[in-house]
Amino acid sequence: MKILIVEDEPAMNQSMVDYLTTMNYTCESVSSYQEALEKVELFDYDCIVLDIMLPGGSGLNLIKVLKQDRKTDGVIVISAKGALEDKLVGLQLGADDYLTKPFHLSELSVRIAAIIRRRQFNGQSLIHAGDITVNIEAKQVTVNDKVLELTQKEFQILLFFLANRNRVLSKNAIALHLLGDEMDMADNYDFLYTHIKNLRRKIIVAGGADVIKSVYGVGYKLQLP
Amino acid sequence: MKLFNKYNRINIPLTIVIFIVGSFLFYFLLQKILIRQLDETLKGEMQEILSYVQSHHQLPDIQNTREQWTTVDSASIPPGRVMKRDASWFDKRERELEPLRQIIFPLHIDGKGYTITVSKSEFETEYLLKLIIGLTIAMIALILVCNFIVNRYILKKLWQPFYQTIESIQRYKLSNANALTLPKGKIDEINTLNESLNEMSSRANREYSSLKSFTENASHEMQTPLAVIRTHTDLLLQGVDLTEEDLKHIHYIENSTQRLSKLHQSLLLITKIENRQFVLSEKVEMEEVIKNYVSELEELLCAKRITLELETVPVYITFHKNLAEIMIANLVSNAVRYTQAGGKIILKLQPDSLSILNSGTGGGLDDESIFKRFYKAHNTGDGTGLGLAIVKEICALVNFNIYYQFDQGMHKFVIQFQDKVSHA
Repeated sequence: MKILIVEDEPAMNQSMVDYLTTMNYTCESVSSYQEALEKVELFDYDCIVLDIMLPGGSGLNLIKVLKQDRKTDGVIVISAKGALEDKLVGLQLGADDYLTKPFHLSELSVRIAAIIRRRQFNGQSLIHAGDITVNIEAKQVTVNDKVLELTQKEFQILLFFLANRNRVLSKNAIALHLLGDEMDMADNYDFLYTHIKNLRRKIIVAGGADVIKSVYGVGYKLQLP
Repeated sequence: MKLFNKYNRINIPLTIVIFIVGSFLFYFLLQKILIRQLDETLKGEMQEILSYVQSHHQLPDIQNTREQWTTVDSASIPPGRVMKRDASWFDKRERELEPLRQIIFPLHIDGKGYTITVSKSEFETEYLLKLIIGLTIAMIALILVCNFIVNRYILKKLWQPFYQTIESIQRYKLSNANALTLPKGKIDEINTLNESLNEMSSRANREYSSLKSFTENASHEMQTPLAVIRTHTDLLLQGVDLTEEDLKHIHYIENSTQRLSKLHQSLLLITKIENRQFVLSEKVEMEEVIKNYVSELEELLCAKRITLELETVPVYITFHKNLAEIMIANLVSNAVRYTQAGGKIILKLQPDSLSILNSGTGGGLDDESIFKRFYKAHNTGDGTGLGLAIVKEICALVNFNIYYQFDQGMHKFVIQFQDKVSHA
């Protein structure tokens, strides 16, 4: 999977490259509009992570160029501008998703996974992880061919884990993923504990391995061999 | 009071006073002139008699008429000089006293003195005076009425551009980003007004948009380092040989980053509300907003063993969907945050108001400072201290009335929708 990261802040750029590389993506990164333009005209990417405010031009223009060239690269716009107009313009121009800074790398990873899945299999893909199989389209999870009855939130958490295998996910990252930024509940993690406890129990009852590990009360990790 | 009415209130009495005073002056002046003319006629008569006497040495045969007659008195001693005076006589035909003007002069014929009195009735003069005064008053009345009507019509027409200007100002909204473009008129004052207003509005728009882009840029500049902290904390968390102590530090960094980000978003939101960057034109179904939010809360409430009583009816409000969601989220999350485990929250949506009650320990809070920014009753550590301030700002923007009460062990927030409810 090839990903292009367009971000002018070096520390930000580097962290995304580091994280996504460990998630087995092939990452290329640029830090200006001009470089980005050259890259997208020469290569095809599965997903482009695109900052809007770039030296040399607006990221929104790059989306226009992609659409003009009839390129099908997936695009996630990342911007510190939470302004609603930017978001709308970005999505109208044909971006696949929009993330507002500051975001968690795990959140970026799960969004990229969703875009790639949509583009490659039209959403009809199966995700395998150990003895867990997830059918996204049918929203069905099976462990050793036994169907799990998961709630909406538990399903969401599982997908989040699957997009960030063997990574430690902080409670904050999971809570933000579940509730969104607007909820103002992210500092209360009690509810998370209940969800994860239930999810774990359901997997174990179905005969699956206990792959969700708690990390010293700070976060959780989906551990696969 | 309209300017025209104010103007008339001064103008009309003043005009009337001037005309009354003028009429009196005119009357007396005219009377004086007429009397003088009468005197001239009498003097002429006297000259005629004198010259006749001088040439003929005898009194002329004088023809008396109803308007003018002469009496000759030879008995009394004649006066030393010519006298003029007003007198009156009783008109038998008209049966009333009529004023008359007399000239009395001495006459000597062959050493014998006579007193000659020529009288002339003022009847004609009086008649003329009455006619002239009558005409004058009629004319003045006509002028006044015409003036009033013409003024009314002309002033209305003259003020037309002014009223148009006012109408444009009333429609003017800073958030529309369009400066006023008031037309150039024929009248200097209106022109100056329109030009100044055009200039003022374009200046206001410029400053408004520069402020807007400043807050947005400030947001950008501050969120970027926060994003760097957050992503690198994520990476730090992946370290292989982290101790529990290390993880605790990371956890604190993470939480603080979250709070800082939230804090900043909240401040930005308040600025946006204050700048009136939200257009309130959507019809928002409050019941739906509340139910959506509450459904997200189930697990959280469950975890805290809080019971939630929900009583709602469909209420449509002309609002901004996002603001409605933020308002509900802030109020409810505030209630959840400060409700003890095992407590109770009551949410009541009525056609004209929304009340949120939650059980609380301790007494009531200070209803003055509770809506202030960064006010925290208990130092719980979490929360930005801006939640209720944002709710208050939103209420102020939409003209809702919000108040707080502590009643029977329950904190109670009530929002009255006033006249914002629209009927679907």
